[in-house]
Amino acid sequence: MLKIRGACKSFNGVKILDDVSFDAAKGGVLGLAGPSGSGKSTLLRCVQKLETLDEGTIEYDGKTGFMFQDFQLFPHMTIMRNLLYAPSLKDKKKNHEKRARKILKDLGIEAKAEEYPNSLSGGQKQRAALARTLMIDPDLLLCDEPTSGLDVATIEDVILLLKSVNKTGVAMVIASHDLDFLTKISDRIILLKEGRINADVDLLKCNVIHFSNNDPIEYLKQYY
Amino acid sequence: MEKALYNFLFIGRGLAITLQLLAGGFLIGVTIGTALAALRYNKICSPIIKGFVSLVRGTPLLLQLSLIYFSVPTLFGVKLSVLAAGVIAFGINSSAYVSEILRSGIESLPKGQFEAARTLGIPKYYMWKDIILPQAIANVLPALVNELIDLLKETALIATIGGMDVMRRSQVIAAEQFEYFIPLCMAGVYYYVLVLFIESIIRRIEKKKSYA
Repeated sequence: MLKIRGACKSFNGVKILDDVSFDAAKGGVLGLAGPSGSGKSTLLRCVQKLETLDEGTIEYDGKTGFMFQDFQLFPHMTIMRNLLYAPSLKDKKKNHEKRARKILKDLGIEAKAEEYPNSLSGGQKQRAALARTLMIDPDLLLCDEPTSGLDVATIEDVILLLKSVNKTGVAMVIASHDLDFLTKISDRIILLKEGRINADVDLLKCNVIHFSNNDPIEYLKQYY
Repeated sequence: MEKALYNFLFIGRGLAITLQLLAGGFLIGVTIGTALAALRYNKICSPIIKGFVSLVRGTPLLLQLSLIYFSVPTLFGVKLSVLAAGVIAFGINSSAYVSEILRSGIESLPKGQFEAARTLGIPKYYMWKDIILPQAIANVLPALVNELIDLLKETALIATIGGMDVMRRSQVIAAEQFEYFIPLCMAGVYYYVLVLFIESIIRRIEKKKSYA
């Protein structure tokens, strides 16, 4: 379970996160929405400990995996080596290749195993990045703007892909400015604005509680 | 004609010293320079390395060479051969330049490469060895080749402490035969051919680079 309490973070005197607190349930998909500069990426990076909070605490008792907006595959390694490099440092004796092949196959890019990242399309790079992250067995996947730079059809693929990963028991926190995408994949959406939580919507029971017009996007837009 | 051939071969025997200095100096330069470039990102080491690089780049190589050859024996009681003093001096000097070249290569990498390594739990040593430095070196390969070529020409300074390299041998011939133009041109030919050779190897390596 992810537990965030009173998270504050400033960059050069500008408050990016301003007293953010929430819990995220195990196994769920939490969408972090908000316009750019609202602090969603920063929050994600703090959870991954790529940034440290000025105040507040973030507790998580499992293993996190991080998906970068620009994937950050290692360009001088083949996709296979991108996948195998970190696990083989941890456990030298085990042969990780079989598992890597299975993950690549599940994600539909098995044929790209021996290619270099720069010969892949945006959608394929994302699959490769996802595969590399899955190799370290995270139980919480942090995705920073997973749809940026992808075309509509590819975004639909990403939704199916992330849903299938979620089914295997991996919880997710997804930061995106794309409300449409988030409502399709999340079971809860937290909307950040200027570093504060502006709306917190449980989509699993949203119809009853929050929405007069039954449309979560319309509802969230007023807080955007 | 026979004399010219004799002179040419006499000068050519200096290649042994020139190439040993080049190989030894560059090996030390790249090894120490790489370590310095990576340690530059360590808070404690950074100011020391900055000072070292500034000092080495701020004083003449001739001075550094003389300092090592003439003062190490008096300071530490160790007699250095001309070759050893040369390799050490050229190596240290080159390490400062190599570290700066590599630093620019490291800084040209996206910050995300460091972060990706961190999120995957890759230990720092391996991150530098397998993720950061291979990319940084590939980025600055042309500049590193320039450094190698510079170093080749700088090895001629060994003549000042009596090393019988290509340069020194051409001077010996010139002094003996009161003829400067031809022997010095012969030395020039040796250096120039070596430079062309280095360039041709590097072109082949760059072509082989399999990504990007």
